[in-house]
Amino acid sequence: MVNIQEDIAVTTPTEPQEIPAAKPFLANERIVIETQRLDFYYNPEAHALKNINIQIPDKKVTAFIGPSGCGKSTLLRCFNRMNDLIAGAYLTGKVLIDGEDVYDSKIRLEELRKNVGMVFQKSNPFPMTIRENVTFGPKVNGITGKDELEEIVVSSLKQADLWREVKDRLDASALDLSGGQQQRLCIARTLANKPEIILMDEPASALDPISTGKIEETINELKKDYTIVIVTHNMQQAARISDYTAFMMLGEMVEMDSTKRIFTNPTVKMTEDYITGRFG
Amino acid sequence: MEQNDTKQQHYESVYRADRWAKRFITAGGYGIIVSILAILLFLVYQSLPLGQNASLKHLLSYPVTDTGNQVLLTGSDSYMEIFYTLDQAGRLNFYHISDGSLVLAEKLPLGEGEKLLSAARGSLGRDVFAAGSDSGRVITAEISMTAVFSDSGRVIVPSLDIEETWTAESAGDSIPNHIEQLAFVQNEDLSRFWAWKDHVGNIHLRIYDADDEETYQHTLQDYFQNLTVTAMTLSHGGDNFIAGTQSGDLFWFKLDDFESPELKDTWKSTQNAISSLQYLLGDQALVIGDNQGAVESWFPVRTPANWLKFTQIHRFESHPAPVTQIYTSSRNRNFLTVDNKGNVKLHYATTGQTELNFRASDFPIQAAGLTPKSNGIIAVDGQRQFTLFQLNDPHPESTFQGLFGKVWYEGYPQPEFVWQSTGGSDEFEPKLSLIPLIFGTLKGTLYAMLFSVPIAIMAAIYVSQFSPHWLARAIKPTVEIMAALPSVVIGFLAGLYFSPLFEEYLMGFLSVFIFLPVVFILAVLIWRMVPEHHRTRLKPGTELALLIPVVSLAIAISIWLGPTIEAVFFGANFQQWIFTNLGVTYETRNSLVVGFALGFAVIPIIFTMAEDALTNVPESLSSASLALGASRWQTVRRVILPAASGGIFAATMLGLGRAVGETMIVLMATGNTPILDLNPFNGFRAMSACIAVEIPEAPVGGTLYRVLFFTALLLFVFTFVINTVSSMIGERLRKKYARF
Repeated sequence: MVNIQEDIAVTTPTEPQEIPAAKPFLANERIVIETQRLDFYYNPEAHALKNINIQIPDKKVTAFIGPSGCGKSTLLRCFNRMNDLIAGAYLTGKVLIDGEDVYDSKIRLEELRKNVGMVFQKSNPFPMTIRENVTFGPKVNGITGKDELEEIVVSSLKQADLWREVKDRLDASALDLSGGQQQRLCIARTLANKPEIILMDEPASALDPISTGKIEETINELKKDYTIVIVTHNMQQAARISDYTAFMMLGEMVEMDSTKRIFTNPTVKMTEDYITGRFG
Repeated sequence: MEQNDTKQQHYESVYRADRWAKRFITAGGYGIIVSILAILLFLVYQSLPLGQNASLKHLLSYPVTDTGNQVLLTGSDSYMEIFYTLDQAGRLNFYHISDGSLVLAEKLPLGEGEKLLSAARGSLGRDVFAAGSDSGRVITAEISMTAVFSDSGRVIVPSLDIEETWTAESAGDSIPNHIEQLAFVQNEDLSRFWAWKDHVGNIHLRIYDADDEETYQHTLQDYFQNLTVTAMTLSHGGDNFIAGTQSGDLFWFKLDDFESPELKDTWKSTQNAISSLQYLLGDQALVIGDNQGAVESWFPVRTPANWLKFTQIHRFESHPAPVTQIYTSSRNRNFLTVDNKGNVKLHYATTGQTELNFRASDFPIQAAGLTPKSNGIIAVDGQRQFTLFQLNDPHPESTFQGLFGKVWYEGYPQPEFVWQSTGGSDEFEPKLSLIPLIFGTLKGTLYAMLFSVPIAIMAAIYVSQFSPHWLARAIKPTVEIMAALPSVVIGFLAGLYFSPLFEEYLMGFLSVFIFLPVVFILAVLIWRMVPEHHRTRLKPGTELALLIPVVSLAIAISIWLGPTIEAVFFGANFQQWIFTNLGVTYETRNSLVVGFALGFAVIPIIFTMAEDALTNVPESLSSASLALGASRWQTVRRVILPAASGGIFAATMLGLGRAVGETMIVLMATGNTPILDLNPFNGFRAMSACIAVEIPEAPVGGTLYRVLFFTALLLFVFTFVINTVSSMIGERLRKKYARF
């Protein structure tokens, strides 16, 4: 749905306000994901994202917060094009990852998704063994060496902080794990693909506080090596784990800043109202 | 307080409704189980008598009055009310079976002091007999026992008609000719055949041709040289004469040409003297009894050189003493053998089984026989004691071996599995092997499943995983309409329209299997050359529209090239080619046609259930797979198919159950030929179709009737086993893969 006219519009200097300048707080960051004038429609009547211009820094945790239905998950799913699955949905504008438009026809979807991993709200391990769950991604992406796969299993489970718990039962069904373990397995499964970016869609919303704590610890560990974008309902969680926070409202990006600043001294009144619990 | 009461009442009524609903639902559930059990029990009840052995009941015994020492012949009427005895003095007495009182006394016209030496019954259906005397006289007569119905009930009126009397020429010496042994037959054309042995031991043959009222006489002694003939029999049609000798040699004469009997073959059965010979119903099988008590059945089998040769088929339980007489049933392949110690055995020739073995008397039996309806055995022993047994042997042919094993039927070159329940005449030997029917059912099911399973499952995958919603919404109801199509319509179209069409364009249709994949792969290759951004711009669902010309093209090419292929590879006539090269005859209504038609009926069942199973795989799983960089197909193959495998398996088994039980399509679209041949170009006969075709013609309570019920029971068990196994395996697969 990208047409030539819009390409021109983006680069035309007569509309300088349309080119999002690097935000001052991101001045020292390398930008990995960038959206330009992103509009997303579930159908012509449902305008879910409105003119989103966002920059997401490398090797940091960026949290999307906002009330239900504000479009934060939709935005997240634009990054790995999971929205493609929705019949009738379309978008305009650009989503750039490492400077390349992911909606360009030259992009291989499978490669994009391998590079941009995703952890879902509800843990969704495959009804296979733990090992098979972890090796699924590498296998579909063409890795067949037995030793290599084994190596991936160990390192991914270790990174997801699950190794100690499952190392003796790698061939047991993944469905026998507890909810929190299942979610960490899903993280391990994503890590097995060695992605650059991990998208997390409310990864702890269905878990108890202890499991949530473990997931958060894992995220903290992971941000050294990965760019993490997390959608969360839980503002404390955003405050605890993220470096940057973006607040969204009714499909619009209200404000994005360092987490510290958003939670202590937001620029926009609406953000403050939301954070302090006046609505939500 | 009042409010409390109304509340109470309200809950009362709610509970009452609950209780009633519970009872009603429980009753419904139990009702289903009970009705299925009732069907099962009914089928078992109807088929159980097949397993029953023959049984015998001694009804009565008493001495016969007014008869001489030697009884030559005995018999009864079909109601088992009177019986007759013919003694050596030529007295033919009729008695009431119930009390032994004399009804009628007749006498054959014999001279002074003349004695009868031999007598033989000449027909299975009529009491016509011939008796030979010690002065060379042969008297041919017919007994009739007519049932007369009056107000006081049924009365059997016996009578005797002397048909003809002649005297055999003297052997050339001074002694009057003795008819020592006699074989006699009056065939359906009323032609008569007598064969006898005179006191010198010479064998003579006399033929009366009823057509041109001529009599022919032959002496056969030259053939035997110095061998002594000890037993003789004529086939009931009169065209075969067999003589057995002291040395165990057998001589087979064809009497087709009345003017010159032809010695067809000689062979040796045992080393022992042949003491008794008899042709069974149907004039094929010959029973041989020897003086060591052995009983064997033989019939002519076509050798590879196209030469008929008598072959030993069965050896029955032996007698401890020489076999003196053999009596055949006029209804089936049962026969009685009698030895000279009073032992009687009942055998069944088709199965080779000796069904009964009993001692009818402590004294040698002089004459015996099966009653006309084969429901009784009568015997007169050396003490002139008459004995009647009630025989209950309704299903001699339905042994386990008879139903499931290879049986050597008359006229067949070797033991085979054959289903042929009825024939042109009463003499027909029923062939009730269930193997061809079971095989037919499996064959039809196999071809139907080969055709339908891939299509149905592929369609289910496409509709549930790849097609756009609007297309899925159109396809699913269409397939359900397909399921609602009455199978008689499918059978009708397949049998009367499609199969001739298929035959006409046979090579074209067969080439589709080659050209469709080829054209399809070519189309995909061409499609891949289209620049990617053009391809991705295509709306989902359009691929189906693009495929229509591809498939049409493939079919058109096949039909167009069909005759050319036939001309180049198969000598312009494929049907002739498969016949000469593979020995396969092409039938218009063949298994391929049935496979398509039956597959058409099975597809909706498999499709609907498989589609449900695939759709029920949670989206979260496919999302997870796609998010890991798996392609659509990888996702389907590695995640969705395993997760839906239980459901797909259950769907396939349900389709299998339907194919096994389907009746109308296999009935109408096959030739219903019960053959054991997996070849796709000929037909088959399925169990269900066989039941449908034959049950209206099967006499209630008869063997065929019960065998058909047994077939129904087998079908029931088949489907029961399929369903049970499928639900067991389906459950295991679900436990393994479908815990979401």
